[in-house]
Amino acid sequence: MIRQLRSETAKVTTTTTTVGLLAALAGLVVLAVVVHVYALPDDQLANGDSQRQLLTDIGINLGGLFAALIGALSVTTEFRTGTIRPTVLASPRRARVIAAKAVVSAGAGALAVLVSVGTASVAARVTLSVRDLASTPSAGDYVELLAGGAVAGGLLGVIGTAVGAIIRAQVPTFVALFIWLLFIENVLVELPGVHRFVPGALAQGIAGQSREGVLQDIWLAALVLCAYALGALFFSVDATRRRDIA
Amino acid sequence: MSAPVAEVEALTKSFGGVPAVDDLSFALHGGEIAGFLGPNGAGKSTTLRLLLGLAAPTSGTARVFGRRYADLDEPTRSVGAVLEFADFHPNRTGRNHVRVLALSSGIDEHRVAEVLELVDLSAAADRKVGGYSLGMRQRLGLATALLGDPKLLILDEPINGLDPAGVHWLRAFLRRFADGGGAVLVSSHVLAEVEQSVDRVLIINQGRLLADQSMTEIASGGGSLEQTYLAITQAVAR
Repeated sequence: MIRQLRSETAKVTTTTTTVGLLAALAGLVVLAVVVHVYALPDDQLANGDSQRQLLTDIGINLGGLFAALIGALSVTTEFRTGTIRPTVLASPRRARVIAAKAVVSAGAGALAVLVSVGTASVAARVTLSVRDLASTPSAGDYVELLAGGAVAGGLLGVIGTAVGAIIRAQVPTFVALFIWLLFIENVLVELPGVHRFVPGALAQGIAGQSREGVLQDIWLAALVLCAYALGALFFSVDATRRRDIA
Repeated sequence: MSAPVAEVEALTKSFGGVPAVDDLSFALHGGEIAGFLGPNGAGKSTTLRLLLGLAAPTSGTARVFGRRYADLDEPTRSVGAVLEFADFHPNRTGRNHVRVLALSSGIDEHRVAEVLELVDLSAAADRKVGGYSLGMRQRLGLATALLGDPKLLILDEPINGLDPAGVHWLRAFLRRFADGGGAVLVSSHVLAEVEQSVDRVLIINQGRLLADQSMTEIASGGGSLEQTYLAITQAVAR
């Protein structure tokens, strides 16, 4: 397993894909923060809760989406380029390959959310200061956002890997993740009792978001998202073992 | 005779009820280069994938060194395979492509440099594979196949894209490999080249084995490999 982990880590670090995605994520986060800070009225921005909510909405949601995409890429790129063949010829125990990809994607997913929340925090402070507004989140808020966000990003990275291993084709995998995270989860906001158990809302809950439709218990949110990640991983390993590789 | 290096027995693989490989049996021994021939869609690539554990047989068995490929402890050290010349990430360098596979097989960096040197890719090793020619990709694939110093090579259309010097090099390399006790199963459409490279041919069509003959037998019949191949495959087509 250690060998496979080293190989999967090398795959991530020997192309510019992950770095490029993280740079695109940082750029998107800055754009979103600047637009929001300039669009919202002073009285709303001066409120501590709304600043923290802004960081969660942008930092956790965008970071979580990119974490899932990075996880999905770890498998779908192998099918797209054909490198899955030499990969499973070198490591025919496919469960081990998927497990190693999931671990590396968890790390990359955590990094994505750290980049996202970190960039959002810096961009918000700078933009607020330009508007002569104080930044109100406390050190504890940042710790909760970064630590919770990293855990959530890691778990979403695992889910992305699993979805990629089940669907295999890159574009349909991305479409599925986008539809779920950007459309279906937003529709389910109208049903708060259901919405608080969807992955995106659980990620917000782990990062300490306090809002209707989000689980307020950080540990329970982490436990449920962890169960989703393990369940998805189980199905993806089973599918990968059973199906032929073209 | 020694135990077969690769062996398929009553191997069948169907897709949607249509057999791509149909009750196929053959064995390959050390020191042998076998050409695996057949028209497009004959089932050659499917057979190679079954032998390498990439696909599961509908029935029958496919074994290398007496075991299913997936059950080999260190597969890279027993079997080297190249199935497609395009199995590379275009933005990864040639050296890193070999390195990621070496890492998963527990093979050190020194061997990575060695196999790149062996296929004459050292100078281009730090360039991205997206900029490689077809022949360079073939040689890179061969470098990955040789990484674990295997005893069996399975190559699907390895001559495609190679220039005459590359073809000459590959022919000499495969002969040295077999003379050293290794076995090679090579599928190809280039019959003139196969005729010069292999000891034996397996000809299949519609998933079934039509002929298993040594080159000596073919030569003693007075015909070329091409004439033999066309006579066998066209007889089935009729």
